[in-house]
Amino acid sequence: MIKKLRKMLDGGTISVNELTEMYLQKINISDLNAYITVCGESALKDAENAQRMINTGIQTPLTGIPISVKDNICTKDIKTTCASKMLSDFVPVYDATAVEKLRRQGAVILGKTNMDEFGMGNSSQTSYFGGVKNPHDKNYTPGGSSGGAAAAVGTDLCVGALGSDTGGSVRQPASFCGVCGLKPTYGAVSRYGLIAFASSLEQIGTIANSAYDCGCIFNQISGRDKYDSTSCDCDDALSLVGTSVKGLRIGIPKEFFGNGSDDEVKEKVISAAYTLRQAGCILSEVSLPSLEYAVSAYYLISSAEAASNLSRFDGIRFGHSSHTDSDYNEQITHTRNDGFGSEVKRRIMLGNYALSHGYYDDYYKKAMQIRTKICEEYNDIFEKCDVILTPTAPTTAHKIGTRDDNLSKTYLSDICTVPVNLAGLPAISVPCGFNKNNMPIGVSFVGKKFDEKTIIALADRYEEESR
Amino acid sequence: MIDISLIKHLSRLSKISFDECELADITRQMSDIIQLMDKVKEFDSSEKEYRLCPQKYENLRQDTAAESYDRELILKNSDNVSAGRFSVPKVV
Repeated sequence: MIKKLRKMLDGGTISVNELTEMYLQKINISDLNAYITVCGESALKDAENAQRMINTGIQTPLTGIPISVKDNICTKDIKTTCASKMLSDFVPVYDATAVEKLRRQGAVILGKTNMDEFGMGNSSQTSYFGGVKNPHDKNYTPGGSSGGAAAAVGTDLCVGALGSDTGGSVRQPASFCGVCGLKPTYGAVSRYGLIAFASSLEQIGTIANSAYDCGCIFNQISGRDKYDSTSCDCDDALSLVGTSVKGLRIGIPKEFFGNGSDDEVKEKVISAAYTLRQAGCILSEVSLPSLEYAVSAYYLISSAEAASNLSRFDGIRFGHSSHTDSDYNEQITHTRNDGFGSEVKRRIMLGNYALSHGYYDDYYKKAMQIRTKICEEYNDIFEKCDVILTPTAPTTAHKIGTRDDNLSKTYLSDICTVPVNLAGLPAISVPCGFNKNNMPIGVSFVGKKFDEKTIIALADRYEEESR
Repeated sequence: MIDISLIKHLSRLSKISFDECELADITRQMSDIIQLMDKVKEFDSSEKEYRLCPQKYENLRQDTAAESYDRELILKNSDNVSAGRFSVPKVV
């Protein structure tokens, strides 16, 4: 879609202003609650700037392309709320590096998308600003936590979106909304300006209608940034698109196809693997034996990091503040009580439990050992394979309100995505069919570190073969 | 074993409080969650020494002072400002 729009914008078939106005109108009449903030005025200014770039012949691949940004990524002078009462009026004084790069390319920032509060959830229903609806059926969740971004792409309320993926928050909503979602290698995209939840696991990722578009946006936001010491320079993610996939070795870990997955999901994902075999890929069964520990390890590590990261929200320097006549501790407790939602409070409590004296060895330390073991098991698989193929989620989207009380079931549904974050690998989710209720199913391709180009080329080829 | 006294201890550490009605709910929810987390205890780590940090990052920038953000703009995000500074409740 970006390629097509590029031609139209460069050829003058449509102006950037017309394109931007069209998207802003669509957002205004949508009832999915995909956006928290719509940047009408600043988007039109972005459009003017982009048009000038095109008119003077200095356009880039994203000049004039309407993009949305998840509301946990800082945007200068535009509210960035993390979908929380705690930050409901917070206006950053700087752009995240990824946003700054988009602006430099002349992209048009349409607005800030809705999400689970602080990225803690997989349904986009824990937002202080109300839940997001799935564009395929409004009774269903869009997944999460980047549910607003995926719903916006799925119903053409933006061409591409920036999301963030801590345990599957780009890939799973992309799968539930029938679009593509790329979680880059840890370090590929600067996290500067991404409001921290679990720093060792999260990455800014891209959501779009095709693998090519995901790669196109990724190319513009990736690379070394002096403000993030974990960031690195990356290869061109589109360099292998269109090349042969013949002989590419795809490993299919048997543990992802157990009893917890829907039969329809397994069937469509295996069918996607057969499609790629017909294109010349070599399939083999592989094993990730420690998958059974992944969800617990992920929740312990991410919650421990969240407990630490979210301790900055004291209502003093920024964010919601509850004024009382009480002492320092009481005022901060009151502020946090009032500002955080239930799921965020549970995660902070779990994190402090895992890190507490007497529990650290049994929980946090064990979880970190499991993390290392999972990394080793991935390395073993990549000795024999180039790419790993799995379902993106064990089920399709669930109906809004049907899982609210079942926390264990909700957490366990992250089983297919969290191991990738524990190991810091890149992965892309691509639509591979629908279930009997017409809800989308996604297949994921997981690559070696910094090998986005192989998984994007494979995903692109799969899209072509399955068309 | 998750009981109300442990929950009260964790809520103090977390600087979050729960009233008596909420305490029963959060205790039940945390018990469910910890039961799921107990899975990690089954992992046998005795076979070898596992490193706790699978990756090292050494790409640090020089620790030199650089231009920062405008003080007035930063203070705009706070309700607790006096004389160009953040104001905190009395501690001592």
